[in-house]
Amino acid sequence: MLQLRVPGALIDAKHLALVQELCQKYGNGTFHMGMRQTLNIPGIKYENIPAVNAKIKEYIQDVSVEMCDCDMEADDLGYPTIGARNVMACIGNSHCIKANANTHEMAKKIEKLIFPSHYHIKVSVAGCPNDCAKGNFNDFGVMGIYKMDYDQDRCVGCGACAKACDHHATGVLSLNAHGKIDKDSCCCVGCGECVIACPTGAWTRGDTHLWRVTLGGRTGKQFPRMGKLFMNFVTEEVVLGMFANWQKFSAWVMDYKPEYLHGGHLIDRAGYVKFKEMILDGVELNPEAKVAEELYWTEAEQRANIHVKPISKHHKAGPQA
Amino acid sequence: MGYKVCFDEVNQIFDELRKEYEIWAPKRFPGKGRYSDTDLIRYDKVKTVEEIVFDEKSDFPAKEVLSPITEPLFYFTEDEWKESKATSKKLLIFMRPCDIAAQQRQEKIYLGNGGFSDIYYERMHEKVKIVMMQCDLNDDTCFCVSMGTNKTDNYSLAVVAEDGALKVEVKDDAFAPYFEGKNAEDYVPSFPTENITKLTIPEIPNKEVLTKLKEHPMWQEYNKRCISCGSCTVACSTCTCFTTTDIAYNENGSVGERKRTTASCQIEGFTDMAGGHSFRNTPGDRMRYKVLHKFHDYKERFKDYHMCVGCGRCISRCPEFISITATVNKMSKAIEEIVAAENK
Repeated sequence: MLQLRVPGALIDAKHLALVQELCQKYGNGTFHMGMRQTLNIPGIKYENIPAVNAKIKEYIQDVSVEMCDCDMEADDLGYPTIGARNVMACIGNSHCIKANANTHEMAKKIEKLIFPSHYHIKVSVAGCPNDCAKGNFNDFGVMGIYKMDYDQDRCVGCGACAKACDHHATGVLSLNAHGKIDKDSCCCVGCGECVIACPTGAWTRGDTHLWRVTLGGRTGKQFPRMGKLFMNFVTEEVVLGMFANWQKFSAWVMDYKPEYLHGGHLIDRAGYVKFKEMILDGVELNPEAKVAEELYWTEAEQRANIHVKPISKHHKAGPQA
Repeated sequence: MGYKVCFDEVNQIFDELRKEYEIWAPKRFPGKGRYSDTDLIRYDKVKTVEEIVFDEKSDFPAKEVLSPITEPLFYFTEDEWKESKATSKKLLIFMRPCDIAAQQRQEKIYLGNGGFSDIYYERMHEKVKIVMMQCDLNDDTCFCVSMGTNKTDNYSLAVVAEDGALKVEVKDDAFAPYFEGKNAEDYVPSFPTENITKLTIPEIPNKEVLTKLKEHPMWQEYNKRCISCGSCTVACSTCTCFTTTDIAYNENGSVGERKRTTASCQIEGFTDMAGGHSFRNTPGDRMRYKVLHKFHDYKERFKDYHMCVGCGRCISRCPEFISITATVNKMSKAIEEIVAAENK
């Protein structure tokens, strides 16, 4: 099955004509909506692969080379690797009123840093911590957030923000005896529900786009788990600086021999503390940034004691014997 | 007298004016809109003409300059009190014709209603000089022509921005010295003559029809659609309701301040009374109250014109896309129905 990458899940609709042609001429006439937002063309016969690869040259040129500025050239041989998986994204603020960010733009910048590469990584970009993009089940979930500003003089004390925060966020706002708002800033997720609910513009988003990054989420038959909060209130520069270190980190863990292994397992092998050291190497954190000191994932083990095995079967990061 | 003055020169005039005036105008706040990466346009003090947004309607109205959302009234210490101070400068406010008409309506409520004059409004009102911004917007929420608020002569200066210059009509001689020696050019401001949105305000012929209209099922639609957030009344050029709050300092309850804060008839709890009684308990009831106030009750009381000036801000700010013009059209239909049933 051919999977056409759609980084950020948004492309010019003109490409749909090509997809239909490929499905009907070379595939079995059906089309599958890829689970990672790729355009999937099932049933391509082995002998047709070269013809199909030649056909998709223009698509790769348009999407990977021009739209995402990936360091590659489009040729007649199809995609050079399948290591890094398609960067997923929700629709983001190009359409959704809840979103704090343009997810496509962010996804394209991430795609440029991780593709083409033989190292596996799954990333999904969400416009807000509601995470419709399911970043929590990706190696990296990248979610648009803000630090909010509150202008007490514009507040009419209607309490709409507190109600919205209670209903669909973390309930950190309350109306005080003076008819203004108190905030327990410890647990604000930066989602912006207060801004959307505010009738007067007393709540506004801060001046800088910020991001929340979850780490280590995955599905799988063996040990599915949800990601944990890795970095909070970091700038785009920090997020991209971190992704720029991914290939270096992966190469070191695998001792420079790429094999088919999911990105999350590389983090497990290195251990979180080592991962943190390498992935943030040379990254200058913004003043608001917070980073997890330790991470303790909770795995939903499908078999009891799945990690308990002879020590000779334990995997090791870094230089291999 | 007319002038055409380039922005650099306008800014020099602004510098002179600011010795005597605070200059208030619609200003863009990038990224501060309700949705991310959208802007907010609201009134603020400006220093340069480039800060003024001429080609888009502000999200919030000019009334915020004269009656800020939160305003301290007085400070108290045991048995003494001290009134808050208004700004010491005069106020030069850039307004569109609809905004100017809205001030007229606000004055009726603050200064002429029930033989009582609100001193906090009055002390601001006395300071105001108006710069009329020639309005060429005609955005699809505007309906000033239908409300008769598209034209005005209530201004000191009229301006239009064109290619990095301001054309100015100086109507008030107090401003003539600022323009001495500047490039004279005839300028007569134009006014909107037609809007995309047109509205016919229905007449309610008698009290019986009014009573039946209040009970009409049309208002129930808003129980499903309106979220009672109050965005429409905060954005309204003419709404004046406020509430007062005493803020006593934590460690000493006999020291503190009284302030007033904008209130909204659309927000639940607006009609709460001592003893727990309240009126207008559903969004539909509250919507009916507001619509009738703007398009019937105010005129019934003051006999001159409707309260609504057709600025359309309530439409553009409503997060649920409720349109006041569509609502008034529904009301017209309901009245026709009621009258037809009566004549049977």
